[in-house]
Formats: sequence, structure tokens, C-alpha cells
Amino acid sequence: MKDNVIICRCEEITLGEIKSEIKKGARSVTDIKRRTRAGMGLCQGRSCEILIQRIICEELNLSPEEVYPANDRAPVRPIKFNILGAELNEKV
Amino acid sequence: MKKYDAVIIGGGIIGSSIAYYLTEAGLKVALIEKKDLASGTSSSCDGNVLIADKQPGFDTELAYCSQQIFDNLSEELNRDFDYTQRGSIYLIESKEEWETAEKFVNKQRENGYSMRMMDYDRVHEDEPLLADDIIGGIEIDSDASIYPMALVYSLAEKAIKNGLHVYNYTEVVDISLNKGKRVKSVRLSNSEKIYCDNVINAAGVWAPLIGKMVGINIPIKPRQGQMLVAEKTFQIGKRKIVEFGYMMAKFGEKDYSRKVHEVIDKNGIAFVFEPTQANNFLIGSSRRFVGYDTRLSLDVMRGLAARAMRFFPVLKDINVIRGYSGLRPYVADHFPIVSAVDSIKGYYIAAGHEGDGIGLAPVTGKIIQNFITDSSWDLSIDKDETISKLSFSRLRD
Repeated sequence: MKDNVIICRCEEITLGEIKSEIKKGARSVTDIKRRTRAGMGLCQGRSCEILIQRIICEELNLSPEEVYPANDRAPVRPIKFNILGAELNEKV
Repeated sequence: MKKYDAVIIGGGIIGSSIAYYLTEAGLKVALIEKKDLASGTSSSCDGNVLIADKQPGFDTELAYCSQQIFDNLSEELNRDFDYTQRGSIYLIESKEEWETAEKFVNKQRENGYSMRMMDYDRVHEDEPLLADDIIGGIEIDSDASIYPMALVYSLAEKAIKNGLHVYNYTEVVDISLNKGKRVKSVRLSNSEKIYCDNVINAAGVWAPLIGKMVGINIPIKPRQGQMLVAEKTFQIGKRKIVEFGYMMAKFGEKDYSRKVHEVIDKNGIAFVFEPTQANNFLIGSSRRFVGYDTRLSLDVMRGLAARAMRFFPVLKDINVIRGYSGLRPYVADHFPIVSAVDSIKGYYIAAGHEGDGIGLAPVTGKIIQNFITDSSWDLSIDKDETISKLSFSRLRD
């Protein structure tokens, strides 16, 4: 696969950028996220997380169990401010 | 036998800044990080470089001194860290806040800082999407934002070019002293032993654990802060925007109370808005003592969303895409510890910056550089005052 292939579509992060950060010491999906912003966009890594995990495995010759996935954090899906905060937003 | 002039423990914003300034001074330095660089507090915060939330006097002088260094850093470092000096605004909700704010601004102006009161028309002209009943604001010119993780990598990469050795995914197991109670060596989880003249404890909320290794008690407590990340959208606010009540929450003013829901009050929730270079924005902030627990509280998330809509009703139809939390290294008097330790020669602490670590990282690195090398004091803050206000010994009872 060519280095200019986009892996994270939300943030437009390429394979080359990901490989370069692995060379600099990144070892987990979250390490890549912090270093490149891959997985920080609207889909929160739902599309690219597995790909990134595989790239790390291939580059460092590790098995998938040895590569930490990203932390799951609420909300599971995008949620509007109004739905999240409505109850506490009433005038007191 | 590996021998370094200094070993830095902790690869967050503080450790990286120290690594950069020590290697710039020509020292042989190693940095030990238990995970990857910027994997703790420095990647679960916002990118504030503020004087807005500092009290008049040394607190502001220290932050301002650090702000000035950022200007140079953005030129000295190769990796872009999104340094943007947009200025910041405090929002004022009531007459009572206006009076306190005016006193604060007058004092800061007397001391030469560039800020001013904004009346109703001015603040609404500047931020047209604000709630109608916000009565005014304070405008602070020098405030800036950065992307904290990029700054950590940027500082570390330059330091590596200067000869820094980074041990990532490595923990410190033990620190040995010689007979004269001087730092001698550090043992690592990969069972390597490295010799060094100085150890700098830059472990943030974990600094007390590194203190225990040499028998000292470092009074830093983890204080959890939660944030919300919003989707990419049209421009909500132009600058860093903070409610005036934030300062009250930060310093725990007892006789001040906002008319807010109990959940907001109890969790120290105060509105903070930060536009990012990625065209989305971050919403903060909360302050809770829950030990080292980083799980999100749904109540806090709801409170953050509610408080944000109170200031910017337009947010109601915008999506939150993620919540995150980080542990801020809290010290009771709100000053960090950037200090030598009298009883152990060669042992330094640079931790306890609570929510100011990003903004104060450059000045912290410079202070430690000054302590360890013989360089002359080239900072705008007074040397003796810095040493005493940030000393470890001030916290001993």
C-alpha cells in the first residue's frame, strides 16, 4: 500500500504519517491518535481504528493482542448539547 | 555504565520542556516515561496559555513570563503546535461579578497588563451568538492557545536532536542515593541501572510516588477535570471564552455563589470555550477530587452541556462527539512546586501545576535549567521570589 493512502478519513491522516510516528515510538492506537489526530474526528475512530491497529502490528511485528485499542469514551454516538444538558439547563 | 547529567521522570509537557532546555544547555539527559510521551494529563487537558485566570501579583507575572517564551518557542521548534494568540474574554453575568471584575482589571492594568472591561454593546458586538442577558466582559490581549500534544512531541523531538535519550514504556523502580545523600542512580523496569547527577521529578499527579522513592512526601493530589469535544461547525466564538465564575471555582472562593443547579455547583463546573485549529471546539470545565479515577461522570457531562448552552444558546443543536477527563496535579496554594529538595542533593521537583501546566511549561523548563546549569537568570520574574513561592519547603507544616 502506498504511503499517501488516507487511513483516517475524518482527519485525513495518511499511512505514511502513521508509519512515521511508529518509528518515533508510538505503540498503541491511542499513541497514534495523540500524535497524528487519527481517530479524533466525527466518527471517533470507528472507521480507522482497526486499520491502525493492523498497521502497528505489521510495523512492529506484534500480534493484535499486544496492541492496545483506543479508549472508549461517552457518548457512544454524537449527541446534541440540548439532549445532553436539557434537564440541568432550566433556570434555577 | 550509562551516566547522565540529569534524568527526567515523566514525559508530559513539563518533562519535555525541561528536556528541551537542559539539552539546549548542552547537558546529557535521559527522560523516563511509563507509557508514550504525552499519555497522561498533557493529552487530556485543553491548550491554555492564559494570564486571564491568574491572580494579580506573582501568579500573573509567572504566567506572563511563560507566555513570552511561547513566542520564541514557536520559532525555535520544528513541529507546528498550533500556537495562536487570539486573546481571551471573561463573561460577566451579574452586577456583583462586574464589580469584582472591575477591581481585578484595574489592578492588572496598574501592573501593566493589557486588558479592559467590555460593556454590554462591546461584548455582544464581539461575540454575536452570546446569550442576551450577559452584561459584559473582560478582554485580555496576550492570551493564547496551543495543541498540547504537538508541543510535547515538538519539544521532545528537538531535545532528541540535541542528544536526549527517551526511555518510553519504561518505569522508574528505584532511586539510589550515595552516603552524602546525593542522587546516584536510577533503576528502571527494564532492569537497567543508569547513573546520574540530578533527578527531576516531573511526574505530575504521580509525583508523590516518585517522591516516596527517596522518602519525601509531596503534597500533590489528583483533581479530575472533564471536557466535551464538539463536532466541526461554523464559528461559535472567536476567542478563548471563560465565565468569570471560573476563577471563583478555581480558587474555591467560599463567599461567592452563582445561581446554578446543584450538580454544576457541586462539581466545580464553569464554562470554558476553546476553538481549536481543527475547526471544532472544546467545552470545559469541572473540578472533582475522585482519586485517580478517570471515568466520565454523566452528571458532569450534562452539567458541562447545560452550562455551555447558558452562555451560547446556539449550541443546543450542535453535536458533542466525545467526552474526556484528565487528572490535574493539585497543590493547596495553587502554585506548582518547581524546586530543589534540601535534604537530597540533586533531586528536583517540577510538578503540581493543576490546570496551568501547559501555559507554565516553558517557564518551568527555564527555571529548572537555571537551577541545574550555571546559566545566568534571564527571566522577567524575580529570582528570589520565584524560588520561595515555588519552593517545596513552603508546603511543609
